Amino acid sequence: MSEAQKYVWKGAIPLQIHLHESEVTTLPPPPPALVLAPRIGYLPLLISLLKPHFSATLPPGVDTIWFEYKGLHLKWYIPTGVLFDLLCMEPERPWNLTVHFRGYPSNLLLPCEGEDSVKWSFINSLKEAAYVITGNCKNIMNMSQTDQVDLWGSVLNGNLESYSRVSSKLKLETFEDEYTENVDSASTKSQQSTGDAEAVGQVKTSRIPVRLYLWAVNEDFDDFEDAPVIDNWDKVSYINRPVEIHKEDGKYFSLNDAVKRLLPEYFPESSFGNEGDASINQSAGEEGENSCDPESSSHTVEIAEIKCVRIQGIEPSLEVPFSWVVNNLMNPEYFLHMCVCLKVSEANALQ
Amino acid sequence: MAADSPTSVRKVVVHLRATGDAPILKQSKFKIAGTDKFAKVIEFLRRQLHRETLFVYVNSAFSPNPDELVVDLYNNFGFDGKLVVNYACSMAWG
Repeated sequence: MSEAQKYVWKGAIPLQIHLHESEVTTLPPPPPALVLAPRIGYLPLLISLLKPHFSATLPPGVDTIWFEYKGLHLKWYIPTGVLFDLLCMEPERPWNLTVHFRGYPSNLLLPCEGEDSVKWSFINSLKEAAYVITGNCKNIMNMSQTDQVDLWGSVLNGNLESYSRVSSKLKLETFEDEYTENVDSASTKSQQSTGDAEAVGQVKTSRIPVRLYLWAVNEDFDDFEDAPVIDNWDKVSYINRPVEIHKEDGKYFSLNDAVKRLLPEYFPESSFGNEGDASINQSAGEEGENSCDPESSSHTVEIAEIKCVRIQGIEPSLEVPFSWVVNNLMNPEYFLHMCVCLKVSEANALQ
Repeated sequence: MAADSPTSVRKVVVHLRATGDAPILKQSKFKIAGTDKFAKVIEFLRRQLHRETLFVYVNSAFSPNPDELVVDLYNNFGFDGKLVVNYACSMAWG
């Protein structure tokens, strides 16, 4: 495990949590709760810390915890660090959130029955990531009960050693090193890195599962303080597309290349050229279609500008090799969560 | 926003397959806009089957997040021009 991974696992957001006034039944109202929320964790898991703090003042009823930030209900399945990076562009410390224990807005949020729901969502994301990387979820399905418990426990407790021990058995290592990566030797490479003889020819280790949170703005701003606020989830596009690592003539594949490849709608003429599908061995049975739409390649002007890419609370230089980003900054369910802010000029955005 | 792009306006064919004791639907294939969320597929199944609790999977493998776009699921996990969605009334694949 790398130094950067250790930082990611230790990363936490200081939260100042206020109980919503409609649920305060005592005078004086309870003081806000101060907690450190792990970046790789999920908000509903904080209930064991928050419940004791607020229980004396709550009205009678059944607890279903949910959170708001400036009136926006927070999606519980998004890791806490990602919520902070996305919704608090100008970082506020502590981050002031409102908690509710009553009146769950089931029309706005997916049902959440505590830790079980969060675990279910985590395991399914892990399976989805495994499917992207290896073309199936066998490794996850075949996990022993003990390993499953240990894996989830390591995420709950932020225990990177225990996580590394269990996750190494999943054989989902993406790739060891960008500089030895060679697309042409994909099949030999996949043998080494998966150790799964059945999967030969199926596995391509350079498909990276990405969840991208895209926020497009029309007007420019110099400071995040002046940036328009995300007050509605409709302003964020939730994009789930794998990135194929491409290597061209000794040129490494950068974070900038990855963002542009993920968003062909905005970067139609990015220089990846037409080599596209031909040089990439799509796994058998997979749809061979590239997300680059031929129609959009006819645009010749770049219609968008990358304002900011934030991952695990940092804004890496866009020239950083994408393989480094993936190996060091991905979340424990093998997804790389990226918050991307684009400046799109209004006239072009309408095309 | 991204939803306006030509890549995502096209329709996706969803193939519904019953698993376990779930009833089989008369119409097992339908078209849905790629820009719709997977939640819409789940909602459709709930209405058809008159059930609140339902387990919905892609390729008999995993349950996607209901906020994921159908077009992303199709591009990542679809084959033969369709997205295979399995549904069960009790938990089928963990």
